[in-house]
Amino acid sequence: MVGIVLVSHSIGLAEGAAELVAQIARGVRVVPAGGTDDGRLGTSTQRIYAAITAADTGDGVLLIPDLGSSVLTALSLLADPGPWRSGNRVVLADAPFIEGAVAAGVAASGGFDLATVTMAAQEARDVRKL
Amino acid sequence: MSVSSEAHRSADEVVERTVILPKHLHARPAGQVAQAAARHTDTSIDLAAGSRRANARSVLAVMGLGAVTGAEVRVTVAGPDAAAVADEVCEILATPES
Repeated sequence: MVGIVLVSHSIGLAEGAAELVAQIARGVRVVPAGGTDDGRLGTSTQRIYAAITAADTGDGVLLIPDLGSSVLTALSLLADPGPWRSGNRVVLADAPFIEGAVAAGVAASGGFDLATVTMAAQEARDVRKL
Repeated sequence: MSVSSEAHRSADEVVERTVILPKHLHARPAGQVAQAAARHTDTSIDLAAGSRRANARSVLAVMGLGAVTGAEVRVTVAGPDAAAVADEVCEILATPES
């Protein structure tokens, strides 16, 4: 199953979003990566690395960032080879945080591949709430 | 009858059902419907409520129907095992909040 990592400035936001996704997309593997190493608002390369490793079951991992430095930190991390198992792909989604995470979670829990899960997250840009 | 002609016949099967919602069609049941749609990749499942329609594969579109308790949701299923898939989707929609 494709794993999902939710990258946020806030521990609470990342954990809450992961909890929500896990409720809606039962069985999904979703891991929060929120805050700095010492628990403040911000992003942590180490936390994202650890979350990718925890989310990775061999079918790839989709990173969904909230905004700003979450995106930049994830991008710089992807520019490096990474400590996770070689051959696995890690992709950064260009998607709204909550809607993208829920859509990706449902697709991942349905057993779809990384490209399809990424597309599900990114299609969330075009779905209206009302 | 050959296997291919059977497959062709079942692929043409279309089933329509209507469910009166005993609960809002909110995030959790929308997720269950989308997960069911994901299990049946060759079968198309469309939901309609009022003037809105949604492909059941999109959890966000299903939530976007804005279907509340008491609303009538029309379920249209086309493809292999359409009747069984329609049963599955209608059961999710018709199950009251636990």
